[in-house]
Amino acid sequence: MNHLSSETFKENARAALADVQLRGALKNATSLFGDRRKAAAASLPNWEDLRSQARAIKDDVLLHLDRYLEEFVRNAESRGATVHWARDAAEANSIICGLATERAARIVVKSKSMTTEETHLNDALEAAGMQVVETDLGEYIIQLAHEPPSHIIAPAIHKTRQQIGALFTAELGMRPTDNVDQMTSTARMKLRDRFAAADVGISGVNFAIAETGTIVIVENEGNIRLTTSLPRLHIAVMGIEKVIPRFNDLDVFLKLLPRSGTGQRLTTYQSFITGTKRASTDEGPDELHIVLLDNGRSRMLAHPVTRQSLACIRCGACLNACPVYQQVGGHAYGSVYPGPIGAVITPQLMGIQKAAQLPYASSLCGACREVCPVKIDIPRLLLHLRGEISPRKGSATERLAFKMWARVMTSPSLYRLSSVAGRILQRVMPISRAWTNGRDLRPIESKSFHDLYE
Amino acid sequence: MSNSARESILDSIRTHLAASPPADDPPVTPANPVIPSKSDPVNRFKESVESVSGKCIITTDAADVLKQILTDLNAQRIAYSDNAPNAHDIFSYDVGISTAQAAIAETGTLVLDSDCERHRLVSLVPPVHIAIVNASSIVETLSDALTRLQKKEISPAITFITGPSRTADIELTLAIGVHGPQELYVIVDGSK
Repeated sequence: MNHLSSETFKENARAALADVQLRGALKNATSLFGDRRKAAAASLPNWEDLRSQARAIKDDVLLHLDRYLEEFVRNAESRGATVHWARDAAEANSIICGLATERAARIVVKSKSMTTEETHLNDALEAAGMQVVETDLGEYIIQLAHEPPSHIIAPAIHKTRQQIGALFTAELGMRPTDNVDQMTSTARMKLRDRFAAADVGISGVNFAIAETGTIVIVENEGNIRLTTSLPRLHIAVMGIEKVIPRFNDLDVFLKLLPRSGTGQRLTTYQSFITGTKRASTDEGPDELHIVLLDNGRSRMLAHPVTRQSLACIRCGACLNACPVYQQVGGHAYGSVYPGPIGAVITPQLMGIQKAAQLPYASSLCGACREVCPVKIDIPRLLLHLRGEISPRKGSATERLAFKMWARVMTSPSLYRLSSVAGRILQRVMPISRAWTNGRDLRPIESKSFHDLYE
Repeated sequence: MSNSARESILDSIRTHLAASPPADDPPVTPANPVIPSKSDPVNRFKESVESVSGKCIITTDAADVLKQILTDLNAQRIAYSDNAPNAHDIFSYDVGISTAQAAIAETGTLVLDSDCERHRLVSLVPPVHIAIVNASSIVETLSDALTRLQKKEISPAITFITGPSRTADIELTLAIGVHGPQELYVIVDGSK
């Protein structure tokens, strides 16, 4: 069930709902992440203040994005980094393939990056003749299985240990087992061999600090540290919205991101990289290239509602909280970014007609807004996008029905008459299937509240 | 080419911001952050390290503790952060030993600064990492550590380490030591 399209969300979702194994995995994952997030947030007395602070910082950044980007670039370049600007995915891929090809690179190791998933960088590198190895364990698993990620922070969440064991046996020659430690050490051994041979390391970026030109990358496994330390060339790929003003702002974001994502106080490793090493004999790559990707982001600045989408720090909390994601999982969305945040980002990045079903993949319950560490009002964004998709949608019958409904509801006598009529008509007239397919219609009580009150 | 991309992205940012109607939500106004109460940072640090599967020993004789750990581990090949083997040879070492320039009590985090720890991979590649940190360099909070890092020009590479390497990518089952060490020992030197 890989490589589904956003255009067929309804069919994808129906298929996912029938997949018992998938739903079990999703239930475990989303409830565990959800519980951990809740406990981690409760352990800080000022959680709500932190969320407000983070949002205020992001709002400031987005309103002055040009200025902060220029400051970041100036400081990163003064410390020896080379910065590239890419208007779209094709331009980013061509810059990266160019850098690798010019250095006669053959093996590329990558740490997890949603941005390079968005640009389909791996396909481009492979087309340029390079071997690309994903080194995050979850990403490695889905790369071996030729599947896209199904969760922002846990890409292989949809697979069972038995499936992964069988995959490792088939692809890596592992002795058959479903022991997690054994599978993990098999991956460690295979990947170390690739790390040692790699010419290029490609990473994402969690935060880019304007004040110092530093990029910050967070992780638990250690593969990002290897990716950014061992190969001679490090290429970091980031969306233009990743910049934050000051080094001290990290205090807020490094508290919010791990707690919202995995419920940790801090992830195991944070790498703060500021330009290139001081002496050529020092540890670390000789060259650092940073690719700034627009790919539709600057367009989102044009309205305060859509602009919020760019405040996202990719923690995945809204996925875990969403009753739709909990049931259908990430692949059904048919997009790199799934869940509530995916339903708002995807139509804006890909063009609204290509993902027109996604803004409807929500009951607007607001759970996503409750957990978002940067207070993105996702339900409002979904409504805004629905408005753009179909400003006057609805059949003539539907419009007439709502017009009549409004008339009846605003007149006490018509309302009374309707409840009597409704009770009788409900027994003899079928109700539109389109309405009851996804909802229950309860029978109207034989006595109304008004009757009882009197 | 890249110059035109730069100009066109910056133009796009400015044009779209200029076209934006004003926000109708009131701007978010954060309250003042709560100042956490001060406690005994050394013991709090130890508790935090242990809560993330690390081992922490507070001592006045760090050299002796280190010797004991190395004997218990039966370590044969030991890499030091100030005098490490070539990055690619480090894969065959049993133990990596580094110091840390600071540590954070509230999270159990070690702060390694590339200006002092020239070979930070010793803290990642061997299956065991032993870090020695001065009790006096333990700060209370993440915020304190970030402030401290800015007292000089920031080094090319700063690494925060909180516990041994971990993953939960297979059925959310915790596995320690995926790409990094399986074991982390932190020796807190309280002699000065």
